[in-house]
Amino acid sequence: MSEGNKPSIEEILATCRRLDQGRKSGARPAESPQPKAEISSPAAPELAAAEAAQPVKESQPQPAAVERRPASQMSVEEVLAAARRKPGQAAATGGAQKPAEAKAAPAKTGAQMSVEEVLAAARRGAAAAKPAESPAAKAPQKTAAAAAEAKPAAPERKTVPVPADTASILAAARAAAKPGPISKAEAAARAKAAPAEPAKPKALSMPERPAYLQPRPKPEPAGPSRRSFFGALVGVIFGSSLAVGFASLFVTNLLWLLGLARFMFPNILTEPPTVFKVGYPDDYAPGQVETRFVAQFGVWIVRYEYQGQPQIFALRTVCTHLGCTPNWLEAEQKFKCPCHGSGFYKDGINFEGPAPRPLERYAIRIAEDGQLEVDKSRRFQEELGQWKDPASFVPV
Amino acid sequence: MHGHNEALFLEEISSFLGLYYLFLAALNAGAAFYLWRRGRGIRLIGPIRSFHCWLLLALLFTMIAPLAFSGDPQVMRWISLPPSVRDFIDWLMGPVVYSVGTVAVLTVLFVGRRFFVKPTVAWLMLNGALLFMGLAMTDPDFADIVRKPDNVPIVGLIYLLGYFTWLGAYLAVENDKRIQQGLPPKEKELDEKVLVWPDLVYTELICMIAVTALLFVWAICIKAPLEEPASAVKTPNPSKAPWYFLGLQEMLVYYDPWMAGVVLPSLIIFGLMAIPYLDFNKKGNGYYTIDERKFSYIVFQFGFIVLWVTLIVLGTFLRGPNWNFFGPFETWDPHKVEALNNVDLSEFFWVRWLQRARPRPPEDAGMLIKVGVILIRELPGILLLIGYFAITPAAMVVWSRFFRELFKKMGLFRYMTMMFLLQVMLLLPVKMVCRWSFNLKYFIAIPEWMLNF
Repeated sequence: MSEGNKPSIEEILATCRRLDQGRKSGARPAESPQPKAEISSPAAPELAAAEAAQPVKESQPQPAAVERRPASQMSVEEVLAAARRKPGQAAATGGAQKPAEAKAAPAKTGAQMSVEEVLAAARRGAAAAKPAESPAAKAPQKTAAAAAEAKPAAPERKTVPVPADTASILAAARAAAKPGPISKAEAAARAKAAPAEPAKPKALSMPERPAYLQPRPKPEPAGPSRRSFFGALVGVIFGSSLAVGFASLFVTNLLWLLGLARFMFPNILTEPPTVFKVGYPDDYAPGQVETRFVAQFGVWIVRYEYQGQPQIFALRTVCTHLGCTPNWLEAEQKFKCPCHGSGFYKDGINFEGPAPRPLERYAIRIAEDGQLEVDKSRRFQEELGQWKDPASFVPV
Repeated sequence: MHGHNEALFLEEISSFLGLYYLFLAALNAGAAFYLWRRGRGIRLIGPIRSFHCWLLLALLFTMIAPLAFSGDPQVMRWISLPPSVRDFIDWLMGPVVYSVGTVAVLTVLFVGRRFFVKPTVAWLMLNGALLFMGLAMTDPDFADIVRKPDNVPIVGLIYLLGYFTWLGAYLAVENDKRIQQGLPPKEKELDEKVLVWPDLVYTELICMIAVTALLFVWAICIKAPLEEPASAVKTPNPSKAPWYFLGLQEMLVYYDPWMAGVVLPSLIIFGLMAIPYLDFNKKGNGYYTIDERKFSYIVFQFGFIVLWVTLIVLGTFLRGPNWNFFGPFETWDPHKVEALNNVDLSEFFWVRWLQRARPRPPEDAGMLIKVGVILIRELPGILLLIGYFAITPAAMVVWSRFFRELFKKMGLFRYMTMMFLLQVMLLLPVKMVCRWSFNLKYFIAIPEWMLNF
């Protein structure tokens, strides 16, 4: 049973719109005689179903004579097309077989039908045709009635519960077509339609399972095995074998974590020392910026003045904007960052570009042997007033 | 910048340039042939139709090609831009003229879109752009920037972006014409379903193969832009982000890293996510249109083309060593000195305007006093920004009928959200122009708390 053969909601809607438009304009296209002929017909479902089937026909225009050919002569496409057309035919037959349904819209002609009614009729036609579809693909000449008779022959195919109750289908179609409040007339029409349904088809029950499919009872193990002995032992100690699994998982993860923690404290550090000596104060000429230590230690040693006081200090080679390494431009006497163009004076004060604050200083002092010693573990920021700290410079 | 002299350079570039002009000739000849066969060239004057012009252009390019192939400085002079033009372009590409000029040019293109999207006009503009590039390639500095392996994709991007923007605008203008006449948009009229298999999958397969082939050619022709081994203490000069992030890098020049690196990019993402909730215009769904969605179109194109693409172009071609501005024909001199003595707004206010020192908290003051003094120091910037973000939306509602309509349709919350996003977007070019024209550094500068805006 393929669901695709059912006219989709879009197709039904398209048909309804066409119907509505045709009614509004009052003039139907003359070249479609089929609907025109059926307007006068009192069997409303026929019209709707035929209309619903029409988009399928349009997409695969074929002469009607094809249907009359035996199945063996037809190509796959033709068979398919025929099968698609079947719902329409089946609905037509079904409509004829069920005069009660025709009564549901008693005196109405097609032109007076509401959208919901057309929808419902189309759905009904599709539902009636549904069981017939798979046989129909094999033998397109069969009528839907015959196919419906063949239905009980293949009960095990019917896995999808199809709401066979016409009232429920109608209700579903109406609900889909028009949610929300309905007028009194509509409610009356629905109430009328509901009791006029024919007897429901018998619900099919599942056949008894054959004996060879019944579940076989498992044979009881003969006596205590070794595995069950160990299992019992472990269970006695840890509670259960699952607990063993989780316990071992926990222990393993704990070991991993401990190993990771140990990894953070290596035995040997290959980094340069944070405290290092950079020569004697006399090595530096006034106004000199020493770039020798940049590559290894990331520090400029500068002999310059800050707030009128001559001093030697160690500037950190990290731009305060985004952390690039600025270059010392001897010709311009400034530090210039290549990333965003921040510029710093020789004393480290920012003056151009986006850098928001001056370069930072490292701690510097005169060691016991008279050399300058830089300590990178302490930093001093000018905007916090830390450059006044005597540890941040060596006066000269 | 060059290890070899002018003549050597011209000889080196000549083979490329010759092929380039031949390519242009083939392009125009192809266009002329196509139009002629289809009989679709528009009539210009009398019997002359557009494909005659393209054929003439093809002929012209074919004649230029041997000149370019010669590689002789005397001959090449005829197919180069004169020095005065280069200097003029260098001046034109200064930051203010560049950014304001881009907006102006895009505005002209937008206003006159019905003229500029005409295929003939667009083809002429494409030819103009390609010819300009050919003429400019004889300049060693220009060629250096354009041929840099990093920058080749950006040159491609400029042309691709131009094409796609044109295509979108063309389809939109066509649809707008149809809508004016009461017809449905073209996409709605030809609303055909296309099958995934084979239509879409085949197209994708062909595209995949074509792109792979292109990548092969690219990988063979252009060397990978590898640099020296990385070092924590040595930053290349200039140090450029990947080309697609150059807009962000440019933004970082004007804002604190916190703003430009975290807040603004997040706002871009959140703003894009907010668009469906802010946009109440149901039109333009599934078809190209400009007239029905003018506001959205302008905002998007401003955000994308001006704030993203032109910044990428600026960062690629106009930023040189020490992140200084260089014209496209200017030598990248790492010692170029630019007066960039940036000044905070508080200094403008207290020092230059009130002629007194900025308020400074006493060294030993308590926490509260320090906070108060700092806030007073930055008061002008704080007030300015509060005014910008709080008063402008209300003022726009009062003054502009369009914004009043927006406010009515969107309600307070959605309107304020939209205005905030728009204002943040506008703040970037405003700040850029302030930086370039007044050397304004930050509106609010509180380095004590790492807070700068």
